[in-house]
Amino acid sequence: MDTSVPGPVTPHVTDTLASEPQAHHLPIKFTGSGSEYFRIWIVNLLLMLLSLSVYYPWAKVRRLRYFHGNTLIDGKPLDFHGAPKKMLKGYLLVGLLFGLYSLAGNFSPTAGLVALAIVVAIWPALMKSSMQFRLANTSWCGMRFRFKGSLGGAYWALLPMTLPIVAFVGATVAMPVNGKPTLEHGVAFGIVMLLNLAALPWLFWNLKRYQHNHYALASLQTTFNATVGSFYKVLFKGLGVVVLLMVLPLALSFGLIEVSKGSESRGPFIALIAGLFPLLFMLLVFVTIKPYMTSRIQNLIWTRTGNTSVRFLSHLRFSPLFRLTLKNWGLMIVTLGLYWPFAAVALTRMRLEAVTVKTRIDPDELVNLISAVEGDAAGDAAGDLFDLDIGL
Amino acid sequence: MSSLSASYFDGVHARAHPVTLYLQRDALKIKGDGIDLAVALRDVQWPERTRHGMRVAHFKSGGSVQCSDAAAWDLWSRSGGLHDSLIVKLQQSWRGALFSVAALIVIFVAIQRWGLPVAARGVVAAAPMSVDVSLGEASMQALDNYLMRPSKLPVDEQTRLRAYLAQALQSLPTDSVPHWQLVFRESRIGPNALALPGGTLVMTDELVELVGHDEKVITAVLAHEMGHVRHRHGLRMLVQVTVLGGLASVVLGDFSTLLAGVPVLLGQASYSREAEQEADADAVRVLKAAGISPAVIVTLFEKLEEKRRKSDKRGDATAGQASWVGIAFASHPSDADRVHFFKEAAGH
Repeated sequence: MDTSVPGPVTPHVTDTLASEPQAHHLPIKFTGSGSEYFRIWIVNLLLMLLSLSVYYPWAKVRRLRYFHGNTLIDGKPLDFHGAPKKMLKGYLLVGLLFGLYSLAGNFSPTAGLVALAIVVAIWPALMKSSMQFRLANTSWCGMRFRFKGSLGGAYWALLPMTLPIVAFVGATVAMPVNGKPTLEHGVAFGIVMLLNLAALPWLFWNLKRYQHNHYALASLQTTFNATVGSFYKVLFKGLGVVVLLMVLPLALSFGLIEVSKGSESRGPFIALIAGLFPLLFMLLVFVTIKPYMTSRIQNLIWTRTGNTSVRFLSHLRFSPLFRLTLKNWGLMIVTLGLYWPFAAVALTRMRLEAVTVKTRIDPDELVNLISAVEGDAAGDAAGDLFDLDIGL
Repeated sequence: MSSLSASYFDGVHARAHPVTLYLQRDALKIKGDGIDLAVALRDVQWPERTRHGMRVAHFKSGGSVQCSDAAAWDLWSRSGGLHDSLIVKLQQSWRGALFSVAALIVIFVAIQRWGLPVAARGVVAAAPMSVDVSLGEASMQALDNYLMRPSKLPVDEQTRLRAYLAQALQSLPTDSVPHWQLVFRESRIGPNALALPGGTLVMTDELVELVGHDEKVITAVLAHEMGHVRHRHGLRMLVQVTVLGGLASVVLGDFSTLLAGVPVLLGQASYSREAEQEADADAVRVLKAAGISPAVIVTLFEKLEEKRRKSDKRGDATAGQASWVGIAFASHPSDADRVHFFKEAAGH
C-alpha cells in the first residue's frame, strides 16, 4: 500500500505580493525512513536491555533527534536538544517516586491512599515541567520553542481529571466489603460511572486547551479555539462507531446460533464460528477505533490551534490511516514486532504531512518577525529537570 | 583547511545567514557577511550521521549552523578529524543492525528460558511467607465471591478425606511438607481442585463426586496441588509475568498494549506447563511414600475425558471454542503426556 497522503490542499504559494493579505501554506514534510529508524531502534533496544534501561534517555534523545531532524517545516528541520544525563536524573527521581508509591500500597491500604493523593497532587506540576522541557529543547531555525502555561493552569487542567478516580474509589469504598452489593449500590455505582463518561470529553478539552493555548515560538503564541461542544461531538461519534461495530457482529453470531438450533445436523463448526465471531469483531473494533479517533481528534485540535498570523490546518483522512493501521498490524504480527520502526515512520509521515501551516504573512517576512522577546534566553533552564512521556 | 557552506542562525532571530565553516584544531570558525565567530569545540553539540535529514550543530551560546548537504558535511567533519561514536557506527551499518537483532533474540530466549525462572526463584526465596498468605487470602475471597459456594459435602466425609491426606503425608520427612489446610467448596465452574499461595487447598464437591469419593484419587489430586504450594508457584508466576510484561511493553508497548500482551500470555502458558510438571513429580513422590500407586490418577483423567465427551455431544459452543483456543495457549501439558508420566512412575 502507498503510505503517502494526497499533498496539502493548497499548493505552496511562493507569490510575494505582500500588499494583499494572501494566505501562504507552508508544507510539513517528513523525510525519515523506516529502514534507517529500524537500525537506530534496534541498537537502542539492545543497549537498553544490556544497561538495564539506564540507556533510556540516550535512546530517547537519538529517537527524537531523528524524528525532529526529519520534520521539515517550509524546508527547515526541527531539532531536539535534550541532554541525556540531565534527563536521566529526572527519570530516576520520578522512578523513585513511583517505586515508593507502589511499595506504599503493599504496606497498608491507608498508606496506599496517601501515596496516591501525593502523586495526584504533584502530577500537574510534573506535566507542566515536562511540557516546558520538551518545548524548550525543540527548535526551528535556531529558535527554541517555549511552553508558557502557568503552574495554576496545569492544576486546573489536570485536577478535574482525578475526579473520576475519586468518584470510583468513593463508590468502591461505599460498597460492602463482604457479601453481595445491594441494588442501591449497583445503581449508585452505575450513575457515578455514567457521570464520569459524560464528563470525559470536557476533561479532555480542558487539558488540550491548557496545552494548545501555551505553545510559543519567540513572540508567536498559539491559542486554542475549539469548543467543548466539538469535543463532545467527536467523542460521541467515536462511541457510536464502537457500538455499531460491536452490535452488528454480536447480532450476526446470535442469529447463527439460533438458525443452527433448528437443524439437527449442526456441527461443532457452526459453534466454533458463532463462538469466534464476537472475538474477531472485537479485535476489529479495537483496530478501527484508534485510527478513527486519531484522525478526528488531530484534525479538530490542530485546525483550531493558531493565532492571527499563523494557523495550522490538519486534513488527516480516516480511510488511508485505517488502511495503514491494518497493514501495520499485519506486518507487526508476521515479523513478531520487528516491523515497529517502519510502522512508526509511516504513521508519523502520514500524520505530519496531513498538517500545513497557514500564514497571512509572507514566509520571508515571517522569519524576520520571529525573534526572541526580551528575557527569552535560549534553553530556558526551568524545563531542564523533568521529561516524562505523558500521552499528549 | 577544508571549508563548508552552511547557514548560521544566531538563536535570537529566525533568519538564516549564509556562512562558510572552517574546522580548526580547537575551534569552529564561522565566517559570513558581517559574521566572524569562533566557537570552542567543547561548546558544540555535533549532529550524528544519518542517511536522511540535514546536519545541525548547536552552540552553548544558543546559535546554530545548519547544512542541507549531509554528504558534504560528513566529508568535511571527517577531514577535520571528527569521528562517529561507536553507537552511530553500529546504527549506520546493516551489519551492526543484524548483529543487534541476533543479540536481542539470544538475550530474549535466554531470559525467557533460564534468566527469568532462576531470578523468580531467587525473588520467591527471599520473599517472606506472609506475602504468599496474603495473596492466598485475597484469592480465596475472590473465589468465594464469584466462583464457589459453601460445600454440601457431609462434615464426616470432609474429615475422612482430610485425615486420609494427612495420613499419606506422614510418611514424608516433615520439612518437605509445607503448611497446609484443606477446604471444600461447591463449584460454579465444574469439577476442579486448586492450590492457593500460602497453603490453602480447595477441593470441589463436583470433583469428589466425579471420582466416586475415591480417597486415593483425591489424595493424588491434592498431592499435586500440594506441589504447587511447596514450590510457591503462585508467587513465582506473579514475578515472572510481571517481568515478562515489562519487557514486552518495552518492545511492543509503543505500538499496542494489546499486542504486548500476547508474548506475556505465551510465556505464562509455557511457565505454567513447567509448573504443572513439577507438581506432577511432587504428586508421584507423595503417593509412592504413602504406598499408593501413581496410576490411580489415571482414573481422574478418564472420568474427565468421559465428562468432556458427554458435553461435546450436547454440543456446547463454549466447549468447542475452549479446545480450539487451548491449542495456542495450553497452560497444562496434554492429558496423554500426563497419563503416560504417571503410568511410567507407577511401573518403577
